[in-house]
Amino acid sequence: MDDELLSTHLQELRRGTVVLACLLILRQPNYGYALLEVLEQHGFAVDANTLYPLLRRLEKQGLLTSDWNTEESRPRKFYRTSREGAALAETLSADWDALHTAFRSLKGES
Amino acid sequence: MTTLTDRYVDATVRRLPPHQRPDIERELRTSIADALDDRIEAGESPAEAETAVLTALGDPSRLAAGYADRPLHLIGPGLYVDYIRVLTALLATVVPTVTVIVCLVDALGGDPVLDVIGSTLGAAFTTATNIAVWVTLFFAIIERTPALRWTPSRHWTPTALPTPPSRRARFTELIVESIAFVLFTTFILLAPVLSPKSDAAGNPIPVLSPWLWDTGMVYVFIALVVASLGASFVRYYAHWSAPVAVVCLLVELAPPILMIWLAANDHIANQAFLDTLGWPDTTMSWVNRGLIVIAAIAIVSAFGETARRARVRG
Repeated sequence: MDDELLSTHLQELRRGTVVLACLLILRQPNYGYALLEVLEQHGFAVDANTLYPLLRRLEKQGLLTSDWNTEESRPRKFYRTSREGAALAETLSADWDALHTAFRSLKGES
Repeated sequence: MTTLTDRYVDATVRRLPPHQRPDIERELRTSIADALDDRIEAGESPAEAETAVLTALGDPSRLAAGYADRPLHLIGPGLYVDYIRVLTALLATVVPTVTVIVCLVDALGGDPVLDVIGSTLGAAFTTATNIAVWVTLFFAIIERTPALRWTPSRHWTPTALPTPPSRRARFTELIVESIAFVLFTTFILLAPVLSPKSDAAGNPIPVLSPWLWDTGMVYVFIALVVASLGASFVRYYAHWSAPVAVVCLLVELAPPILMIWLAANDHIANQAFLDTLGWPDTTMSWVNRGLIVIAAIAIVSAFGETARRARVRG
């Protein structure tokens, strides 16, 4: 399979998982670059240029809230999962589990 | 000195709506600085680190598009097929028609062959260019105006299937209407220069009254007809709603009402042109009566169509 096609399919498969991961991680407030690192540590491959606009979109949808922290030498925008965001994360997690089970049964593992 | 980072941030934020700029710029600068620190700590030189960080962020226009959350296309997949069909239909019908008419009128006027070929090709090219530009602009506007986009309703049931005439039939109607509009406008705009009759000095005697051009009324009329065609597109792409239906009705009534007024005041046909035909003096009033009847039919049919759509909510 050619690389471009492969990356398109991987991207489509992963699109929603980054949203879910962000909603889960940001139950503890955090800022863009640090979030990128946490995602990487946990094995979520996401580009900075995807993540930063995504955070803005989730904020606009009311799933995240944000605050500027200017106490440190570098002002940082901290994001935190809102109540709606937490509820969505719960729904999405349940769906992810259901999908996982579905795939296992599809492959005859259970 | 401007750094690469400054240039990168500028290139990104200048593509964003002004109200979003300060906040995004501030956050983007912090994020870049954080990433730079990490790489420098890991032993890279500042210049290497900066290049690497910006390369990873990628093309500023893509990043800006992500922030702005807007389409990177002029006409999206939802409208593309319709766009191509309208464009092809107009090009395939209007361009040949205009070409043939211009060619015939010039040839009948006794112009030299090369002039006839030149003005015919010129007219064909101008017509095709205008059609392409305006149709593209029209669809780009529909693409960017969510209120004009026809989207399947949230709770779909089979009863929502369109009753005849189907959307396909209505689309054909829309195309026919567009073609008629372009031909009609082209004829009106060419009317002062295209005429089968010339005066003693060899200048064409216009078919339509010069009063229309002297007062600019012809452009008002064309603008109203454009708006009326726009109303047809709105009715095709937008959901039915009472305000939309009322506005579309009013917009569609405007051209026939203006036409009745023009006809009643002898402002449409050119008396000088009718004289050259040697027809009786009453011709003018018969032409005007005919035009008033046509306008009246248009008014009645606009009401009828609005009532029908209000009934089926389509």
